[in-house]
Amino acid sequence: MEITRKTMEVATAVLTGSVGALICYGSTENGIGWGPGGPEPGYFPFGIGCLILLGSLATLVQTVWKHAGVHHAGAVPEEPFINGARLRLLVAFVLPIVAMTAISAWLGLYIGMGLYIFYTMRVSAGFRTLTSLAAALLVIALNFIVFEKLFMVPLLKGPILEYFGIY
Amino acid sequence: MGNFGQLMDGFVVALTMHHVMIMVIGVLLGLVVGVLPGLGAPNGVSLLLPLTFTMDPIAAIILLTSMYWGALFGGSTTSILFNIPGEPSSVATTFDGHPMAKQGEAVRALTLAFGSAGFGAMVGVVVITLLSGWVANFALQFGSPEYFAVYFMAFASFIGMAGGSPFKTLVCIMLGLAVGTVGMDTISGEGRLTFGITQLTNGISFLIVVIGLFGIGELLLTIDEGYKFEGVKAKLSLRVILRTLAELPRYWVTLLRSALIGCWMGITPGGPTAASFMSYALGRRFSRRGKYFGKGEPEGIVAPETADHSAGSCALLPMLALGVPGSATAAVMMGGLMIWGLSPGPMLFTTRPDFVWGLIASMYLGNVIAVVLVLATVPIFAWILRAPFTVVGPLIAIICLIGAYTVSNHIFDIWVALAFGLVGYVFKKLDYPLAPFVLAVVLGDKAEDAFRQSMLSSGGSLSVFFEGSLVATMMGIGILLLSLPLLTALFGGLFRRGAEEGQTSRP
Repeated sequence: MEITRKTMEVATAVLTGSVGALICYGSTENGIGWGPGGPEPGYFPFGIGCLILLGSLATLVQTVWKHAGVHHAGAVPEEPFINGARLRLLVAFVLPIVAMTAISAWLGLYIGMGLYIFYTMRVSAGFRTLTSLAAALLVIALNFIVFEKLFMVPLLKGPILEYFGIY
Repeated sequence: MGNFGQLMDGFVVALTMHHVMIMVIGVLLGLVVGVLPGLGAPNGVSLLLPLTFTMDPIAAIILLTSMYWGALFGGSTTSILFNIPGEPSSVATTFDGHPMAKQGEAVRALTLAFGSAGFGAMVGVVVITLLSGWVANFALQFGSPEYFAVYFMAFASFIGMAGGSPFKTLVCIMLGLAVGTVGMDTISGEGRLTFGITQLTNGISFLIVVIGLFGIGELLLTIDEGYKFEGVKAKLSLRVILRTLAELPRYWVTLLRSALIGCWMGITPGGPTAASFMSYALGRRFSRRGKYFGKGEPEGIVAPETADHSAGSCALLPMLALGVPGSATAAVMMGGLMIWGLSPGPMLFTTRPDFVWGLIASMYLGNVIAVVLVLATVPIFAWILRAPFTVVGPLIAIICLIGAYTVSNHIFDIWVALAFGLVGYVFKKLDYPLAPFVLAVVLGDKAEDAFRQSMLSSGGSLSVFFEGSLVATMMGIGILLLSLPLLTALFGGLFRRGAEEGQTSRP
């Protein structure tokens, strides 16, 4: 699957435009007019939303304009935004991170990061199971020392660590 | 000479054992951050910031600025040895640094880079020393309309001088301002743009935004670009280092020109990245050896490095004196100042002179320490970088996620950071500028407050921005900057050629 730059430009502009519209809508709940004491709280955000809409529309027009021009000139096709192989690489990198976040929310950050390091070392980097396990434990231990002991910034522990009496 | 006496007092503050140790630690951390692609100065500083909340503000700012110097220096190491810029601002260093290293002169290239970088940083710090007090005094007369005009000018200069699509810059600034308004409104106390999500009532921290945009976004970009090290081995020899340092004064024209460009771009919010590209482009055009640029020409290393570092240090001047940061990293530090309970701006010079001058004094020392340490650690970092990215990448990812969590101990923040990571990746690939985004998040509240207060005092008439001569001048400059893209389009190729040279995309 290949995504062209034009598709992505258009998609991004549409997305930022909808965010702009959403901001306009959201700010109406605070009142966008002039109250007795100057501008109401929604006045500033409403203007921002409008400018985002404006900028997105202009980018959209610019993109379509440019690509129409390229078509006529018959110039060399531009590089795609991302090709299939790269996209798979990217997804393979992002999904474990998302999984780690979900697991961390449930079981705590230390277990989340341990599982994540074990997975990436074992599956992505192709180390042996024992090496990966050791790396995961090392990362957990290092982070525990740095955050809990040195800087006194406690990270989320989750039910399992709490069961073993580690707060 | 009032500044000189205060600077000496500052040295008394900065030159304690404790603070020098902090500088060394900060520079080392910064070097790590600068060397590793995917971790940059703005992101590194935001990751460290939550850990400084309990520290004394002076020690904390010295730690953060030292990290900033380290990151600026570290980015050049990878540019020269591996042709992979560790920092966006050292992209221009790869053009001549890597060819020179390939010709077997890696140490000469590194020394040239660090030497000229050190010179640039020193010029920047001297400019700060001489001008900051004066600028702060000047800014003491500012009322809220003047402040709004300063913010307006900062944003306008991004749109006018960024070189890319002005509409994309506009979208970025406005999205940043929008992120800044999420949460409780400071004047009325109403929740804004929260859409009923309780986690949003406290607003979105700029730290989360930076970790997402610069940290996770950069990481995804590195994966996408396919990351392979084809490094050049560097064996340090003191003789070559000394000989190269002696060679530096020969490039005094380039050094001075680049330092001036850097100072200008740092004070006006152009930032180090734009400064290094601009200096490289101007160097190629004006140097007698311009036609050798790109083939391993010494001046091609000196020009971007000097400008990069003088811009990097000068970016702190408007942050301290006006409360308007000159770069993304300075924006993060300014956010830090506010969290530590200091309000950046002219009043800081009268309320906390020990803080301001201690910081400025530490800049002199921090840069010297950085030059020495960066040379000494080249072999170590060259070795670290041989580790495959499948190992380094996940480690950076963990650092980013933990960093996002430690901002306020919410898992929700990690999700927000991940979302901003995707935004950062797409925006970067489509040439949306990210620095104005961060600047807008940090300045959003202040700009809005200044605007609303001016409106309150004038009874809702916009004419307040054009009444005083000072305000009118600043608004005028702002409007001129805003219309610059239009003027450029009208007058055709004259400016366009220079802008495109500065816009060379990442390799």
